[in-house]
Amino acid sequence: MNLEFNEDQRLLFETVDAAVGRGYQAGGRAEATDSELGWNAEVWNTLAELGLMGLAVSGDHGGVGAGSVELYATLEALGKHAAAEPLLDGVVLPSWLIAALGTEEQAKKLLPALAEGSTTIAFAHAEPGRSWGAAPTVTAAAAADGSVALSGVKSPVRQADQAGSFLVTALDGNTTRVYLVAADAPGVQRTEGRGADWSHAAQLEFSGTPATLLGTAGTDTTDILGTVFARARVAVLGEAVGLMETGLGKTVEYLKNRKQFGVPLSTFQALVHRAADLYARVELARSMALWATATVEAYDNGAEVDLGTAADDAFVFVGEAATEAAEEIVQLHGGIGMTYEAEVAHHAARLIAITESFGGLTAARRRAVGAETALSAPSALLDNAV
Amino acid sequence: MDLELSGEDRKFRDGLREVFLGEIPEDIRRRSALNETTREDIVTTQRTLNAHGLAVPHWPTEWGGKGWTPTQSHIYASELQRNAVPQPLAFNVSMVGPIIAEFGSAEQKRQFLPATANLDIWWSQGFSEPEAGSDLASLRTTARREGDVYILNGQKTWTTLGQHGEWMFVLARTDPDAPRKQQGLSFLLMDMTSPGIERRPIKLIDGSAEVNEFFFDNVRVPAENLVGEENKGWSYAKFLLGNERNGIAQVGTAQRIFADLAAFAVDSPTETATLAEDPQFRAAMHRAKTTLLALEATQMRVTGASENGAASPVSSLLKMEGTRALQELTKLRMRAAGADGMLVPTEHALQAEEAASVAAAQYLNHRKLSIFGGSNEIQRGVIAKTILGL
Repeated sequence: MNLEFNEDQRLLFETVDAAVGRGYQAGGRAEATDSELGWNAEVWNTLAELGLMGLAVSGDHGGVGAGSVELYATLEALGKHAAAEPLLDGVVLPSWLIAALGTEEQAKKLLPALAEGSTTIAFAHAEPGRSWGAAPTVTAAAAADGSVALSGVKSPVRQADQAGSFLVTALDGNTTRVYLVAADAPGVQRTEGRGADWSHAAQLEFSGTPATLLGTAGTDTTDILGTVFARARVAVLGEAVGLMETGLGKTVEYLKNRKQFGVPLSTFQALVHRAADLYARVELARSMALWATATVEAYDNGAEVDLGTAADDAFVFVGEAATEAAEEIVQLHGGIGMTYEAEVAHHAARLIAITESFGGLTAARRRAVGAETALSAPSALLDNAV
Repeated sequence: MDLELSGEDRKFRDGLREVFLGEIPEDIRRRSALNETTREDIVTTQRTLNAHGLAVPHWPTEWGGKGWTPTQSHIYASELQRNAVPQPLAFNVSMVGPIIAEFGSAEQKRQFLPATANLDIWWSQGFSEPEAGSDLASLRTTARREGDVYILNGQKTWTTLGQHGEWMFVLARTDPDAPRKQQGLSFLLMDMTSPGIERRPIKLIDGSAEVNEFFFDNVRVPAENLVGEENKGWSYAKFLLGNERNGIAQVGTAQRIFADLAAFAVDSPTETATLAEDPQFRAAMHRAKTTLLALEATQMRVTGASENGAASPVSSLLKMEGTRALQELTKLRMRAAGADGMLVPTEHALQAEEAASVAAAQYLNHRKLSIFGGSNEIQRGVIAKTILGL
């Protein structure tokens, strides 16, 4: 029974924390998302040098094959500084998809480049007007010569502007499959936009765009996509915890320093009690995120756990806490907390964006509430049922 | 990280379950689950536990403590709660016992500790007063030294289960002129059969009479029953605060109520199906479930931190959020039972027989959780001050 980092994991957190902290001074997130790149090039290079791009890539393909706890530690450190580097979206998630679906040849070709940080791959799954879990409307048509062409619209696609290629979900008959598309392939029209957290996000319109199937036609993608999404839902909670922790800290500092009616805000019990409640929410959210991370680790070690439901349970709980944290951080700062100039406003915006990532809060709750296990008594420990 | 108990801890847990389920009679545990525990149930249980060395595991080893690891202590609290074993009387094992063991004289330890562990003495707490609730240090009960006795005058209130009390540990003012109100308080042990003590039960809105007021009119307490030094009572009382982390969130109790409620829902027909299929009910249960997972994981983190020797100032968090979760569950049970849950236990012939049937009474009774032991508003203040530095 243990939800603590081991020594190596603690060291990893401290290393990433220090490295990202050097690149992200106050206001760093807005500076990064305002830039053409969309993140901080120096920080990116440092992360790559540390080998973190290969966290989810096996040693055979140039990575380090780390587990869920190492990923959590890394993402919490990124969240702590509200860093904009698309480590999860642009590197880890595509690595999971390629490793799970791709042929050995594709893995050999794609994974080493991801692991060294020389390219990113944008995952194009969301579609306008469709929930994440619904079948895609983008279609894949096979020509007589065996080539495949995609048609339809994906949006928003995070950090599509910098990606070397896209992994696109599309319907082949009745089956959802994942296709690889070069960013400069003919028939791709990219329309640039910004997400609620000011990260770069684009609409991609495919018109007869040449694509390559990831993996082989015989593979059923449903379970694999489900598992990858569950992993992503857990992983992003690490970033949320880092963001909440820093948001709370900055809010506490503000309550101490800001004066109204001639006294610091910290003399008003109405505000202080809200901060105490926020602290409690953040601590519970951290516990939940760590528990979900440990559940992924147990799953990877072969334990019989319901990964999807655990991920949904945790995503719902931490997502609600993230929403509350975003609201309280802004409220306790007053009007200044809503301004683009204020660092905490970007924390709040990123927290909100996280709650709608990888399918979002409402769908996670719908699945969890509908799950058979929704009414079985909870136990955080395995083999310790009530 | 590891979501399993070690082999050794599992063996430890199974050993506890053997005693809890094998030695504590089933009807005692059933009444406990219904919140209908009797005095005899508590006495029988504590003596059985004590016979197995399980009543006072957290005391110093020379007085029956077990020297458990934080993980073992966590498992103990959790298994007591999950299996609806009436808890050893907190006034004995968590309050006066540890204080006597730490600050009492050799004679007091000999006289009181074994009897306290075995519940041969039922202790009551004499702390709160009408004008001293959250602000305990404002208490007015006086203890005037006259020769080799203290003369007590004043009033105590909210004395839980005081109707069974044989001895009371009393916080009383021995120096009315002390510069700070926290100074000048002493910790006294009072035989409740002494002349001059009057008890009045306080009937609560759920019909229960588990709390009492006590009036002291020149009650004589031998000076040898002073614990530690005169005028140091506040520091002894404070010794308890934040001392108790295991079980404070009552996650095991909430897990048990959750399981009972889920079973009730399956057998509870609605217009179209069963309550277990009702989307509102499922959503509310899911909210409770995720909160309990987060609380249990927090308990695991606190336990882990204590294993590493680090102090963890989160007992306020666990108290506040644990009681909130338990109150939510009792509310959910009341909503689930509907009109069926609206009977309160009385002397009349019509009696509720199942947990769901006294759901409203228990809901009303459990409002106490966020009030006693430092109200949740006091806990917010503690968090803000000690953790956030506000």
